[in-house]
Amino acid sequence: MSTLKTALILSGLTLLLSTISVGQSKYTINGYVSDSENGEELIGVTVYVNELKTGTATNVYGFYALNLQPGDYTLTFSSIGYQSIVKEISLAQDIELNIDLPVEITQMEEIVITEEAIDANVTDIKMSRNEINVKQVKRLPALFGEPDIIKTIQMLPGVASAGEGTSAFFVRGGSADQNLILIDEAPIYDPSHLFGLFSVFNADVIKESELYKGGIPARFGGRLSSILEVRTKDGNNKELEGAGGIGTLASRFTLQGPIKKDKSSFIVSGRRSYVDLFLKAAGEENTVFFYDVNAKVNWKHNNNNRFFAALYLGRDVFDFDDTFGFDWGNATATFRWNHLFNDRLFSNTSLIASNFDYKLELDDESQGFQWTSNIQQITFKEDLNYFLSPTNEINFGYHLSYQRFSPGTIEPNSDKSLFTTVELQKEYALDHGLYIENQLKINNKLSILYGARLSFFQSVGPSDVYLYEDVTNNIDIERTDTVAFDRLETIESYFNFEPRFSARYILNPVSSVKISYNRMVQNTHLISAGTVPIPFNTWAPSSLYLEPQLADQTAIGYFRNLDDNKYELSVEAYYKDINNVTDFADNADIFFNEDLPTEYRQGDSWSYGLELMLQKNEGRLTGFTSYTWSKTERQIPDVNLGQPFLANYDRRHNFNIVATYELNDKWTFGGNFTYTTGRPITLPNGKYEFEDYQVDFITERNGFKLPDYHRLDFSATLTPRKNKGRSWQSNWVFSVYNAYSRKNAFTIYTRTQESDDEVIDPNRKEARLIYLFPILPSITYNIKF
Amino acid sequence: MKNIFLTLLVLLTIIGCEETVTIDTQQVDPVVIVEGLVTDRNQRHYVRVTRSVGFYDTVATEPITDATVTVRDNRNTVVNYSHNPNAVPLANGYYLSDTEFAGEVGIDYTVTVTVDGQVYTGTDRLNPVTDIDSLAVIVNEDEFEDPDRDGFFYEVLFYVKEPQDTKDFYLFKFYRNNRIVRDDPTDIYFSDDDLLAEDIEGVPTASFYTLGDTARVEMYSISRNGFLYYNDLINLLLGDGGFFGAPPVNPRTNMSNGALGFFQASSLSEAEIVIQE
Repeated sequence: MSTLKTALILSGLTLLLSTISVGQSKYTINGYVSDSENGEELIGVTVYVNELKTGTATNVYGFYALNLQPGDYTLTFSSIGYQSIVKEISLAQDIELNIDLPVEITQMEEIVITEEAIDANVTDIKMSRNEINVKQVKRLPALFGEPDIIKTIQMLPGVASAGEGTSAFFVRGGSADQNLILIDEAPIYDPSHLFGLFSVFNADVIKESELYKGGIPARFGGRLSSILEVRTKDGNNKELEGAGGIGTLASRFTLQGPIKKDKSSFIVSGRRSYVDLFLKAAGEENTVFFYDVNAKVNWKHNNNNRFFAALYLGRDVFDFDDTFGFDWGNATATFRWNHLFNDRLFSNTSLIASNFDYKLELDDESQGFQWTSNIQQITFKEDLNYFLSPTNEINFGYHLSYQRFSPGTIEPNSDKSLFTTVELQKEYALDHGLYIENQLKINNKLSILYGARLSFFQSVGPSDVYLYEDVTNNIDIERTDTVAFDRLETIESYFNFEPRFSARYILNPVSSVKISYNRMVQNTHLISAGTVPIPFNTWAPSSLYLEPQLADQTAIGYFRNLDDNKYELSVEAYYKDINNVTDFADNADIFFNEDLPTEYRQGDSWSYGLELMLQKNEGRLTGFTSYTWSKTERQIPDVNLGQPFLANYDRRHNFNIVATYELNDKWTFGGNFTYTTGRPITLPNGKYEFEDYQVDFITERNGFKLPDYHRLDFSATLTPRKNKGRSWQSNWVFSVYNAYSRKNAFTIYTRTQESDDEVIDPNRKEARLIYLFPILPSITYNIKF
Repeated sequence: MKNIFLTLLVLLTIIGCEETVTIDTQQVDPVVIVEGLVTDRNQRHYVRVTRSVGFYDTVATEPITDATVTVRDNRNTVVNYSHNPNAVPLANGYYLSDTEFAGEVGIDYTVTVTVDGQVYTGTDRLNPVTDIDSLAVIVNEDEFEDPDRDGFFYEVLFYVKEPQDTKDFYLFKFYRNNRIVRDDPTDIYFSDDDLLAEDIEGVPTASFYTLGDTARVEMYSISRNGFLYYNDLINLLLGDGGFFGAPPVNPRTNMSNGALGFFQASSLSEAEIVIQE
């Protein structure tokens, strides 16, 4: 089957090469489309050529190009939330045409839908993809009043969460580490604050965020299950603008404005939680806080050269009685250069650095220590879009990353400490990716996108690699030899071919069928045996003892718009098959283990599901409802006696409603409802006594299920009318989380039975359900000037 | 220190709430549990043989009183064990060696337990242990200011030299007036020496003491198998249901044929101190 796909793709590439040389006597219209109020480039704006009944869309940098025969054309630029602009042009030479789209004046008025309405749901080739509307997220009910895109992502079809209070999400049967999370193209290794209560994404700086669950374009690689791409705002290049919010748990402030009007701008945003201040006020000596800083500057020299520099810093700090503490955080930096080599060849060159690190520290004279670990990465990316014609576009590029994994160092932090300094060996890797893909409109009904990514991954020195008598024996570990590798010397290399294919066939003006296939390779492995990753988990590269993880996913979908495109309906079915999924032996010691390879167990995982989604993007009532039926299993050598078991994040049914309703210009209401089958959990069927410990007797992995999870949240946003004509605007968001105070299971653990007055009965055990949040009201005050 | 999950679970129970629920357990075949210890002390040693019970059974475990138990060393010296020779009611399931004997360093000891025709064996090596240098008593400032129990604010510290040229594993037990004490009922005090420096100076032991108490510290050598067993056991006792940590699983045992538990051979060093002004 895969050879057939390879043949298809190769013949496609030949087809592509034959089309490059045609079309000499044409001219190009190109330019950037941006928001007329703040100058932000707009992604995915439809540029429609009325005469040809075809068009293109702006790329992720807001750029479009159309290569057409000379003549007179009417171009329509349209995007959700913006007024459409129609331009008459006479094409007799290359034209540079930048467009500023005005925001829809008010949502209340009936919007005149242009003849080519926003029907991308049906006409676009993309499937298995969801944009997360940040404006809507801000009006939805939020935990502690802190708007969070990850919480909305967890309600999308095909996405599951592990329960509340976590930022982990599971896409189509993939584990949480199989999501590539990018902020301004830089990878985030842990997206959680406060162990997942919030994500690292400050809603105030997000320009656009999109989740790719399938049909993943060839420009992405490195993770098996999804890509979450978050792009931050470039900064208002028209006028200085400030915005802030005061929430129950955290506050945020953003300042943006022009450095040179229309040419250059900046944005700086900060967010900090202040639970610690309450704790201090309550006399607690414990400290818990997190912060985020986003900063970005850009210089739009002209259409041919534009430069961007973005920075993200985030950190969580926990400190208990000034003796025990830990902290963790991400830091990323992105430098981008958008360049036009010619009027049809768009280039994005990026240099990206990413760092994730954590530290645990105990201040104690006799037992003090400091434990640090980090993962660092530098990436160079060259991505090119070649706009051959409105029906033919080629994307190709090369990515190179250098990664350094420092799994841990433990040092004593007092002279008398019982600890000695131990450092686990660092690991290094070079990751190359070369890709090409071609989007071709074969006729008015059929569009295809085909391509491939070549992944070449090298685990390199310096390193002393241990050889083992039996690498799967984690009890009597016997090293037979040590092989020394020099700096950049290859320890092991893996070459993988990742074909990608999507097709769309329009059945009639309101419906289409789409199919997609993608193979993904993951060479960065999370060392975690739990369901939800914690910041103290480390990562390891593919190497001698860890093979690349491979996923093949096929999806088919039916897309239909209803009632003049007011409603978008999609039905998708998928099957995903994962080889070499990284897991760990029972009782694995994954923390600070020099012989970690003896704990690796790679196996198989497979998942299938059916997803329904109904979305409404316009009118007073907007939002979506989704239902997913899915099943995910794993089979890992030595785990569960080698028998298949349900994955930790398997959820049979998953139903969600996310909606906002604009009553008038003063009040907007929001609501979430979620219902999912409880996740599988391993619990004992028996017990016994060893010495005087009451021990569980475990008979099966994930043989139990947590109770079903369901929750209802409400919010109301009050925008005072006196805002009008005032130089600053404000609003209040009132949220009620878990409106009917359902005790949703976070997890279940067992203990020796204890009465309310803490009397222990050693003859009995009991199961204890932990739930996090009862009904939780919160208020957030937002201001903008 | 490696039990981050415990810290997380504690954090969760701070922000979260909990309640007792009934889980839908199934009837499963019981397994034989063996617990035994041979030390380098000349005494009658014990082996305990029990059977697992249902999770909601109202007994902790089911003693097996009719097993055949022997311990043999790798020089083929065999010692027979008898069930509860003194007929102590609470000692059902406990088997004592018919003779006093002292385990020797470097010798492998194998227990053989026969229950209903099924034979279960387990082997452990008796490793040497270093001597405890000394114990010291200090007043714990926090406990002094706000004691859990009036007068109980003395803390016992121990001092030992960890041999840096050998690979060692340790298990500690702490006693107040001959009764075992733990800070938490599920605590197990054990360690490997991967991260240990030579000078272990003033490491606090469990619990707090009052004037006149006698504190005793026992330090046992354990094998790597023993270390893994206690490590797996504490992970199971403190597991979070596989949320942040790994899903719970039975500890790796040195017993054969599907039995659980551990048969341990240890050298023992101990020190005692009386709490005085």
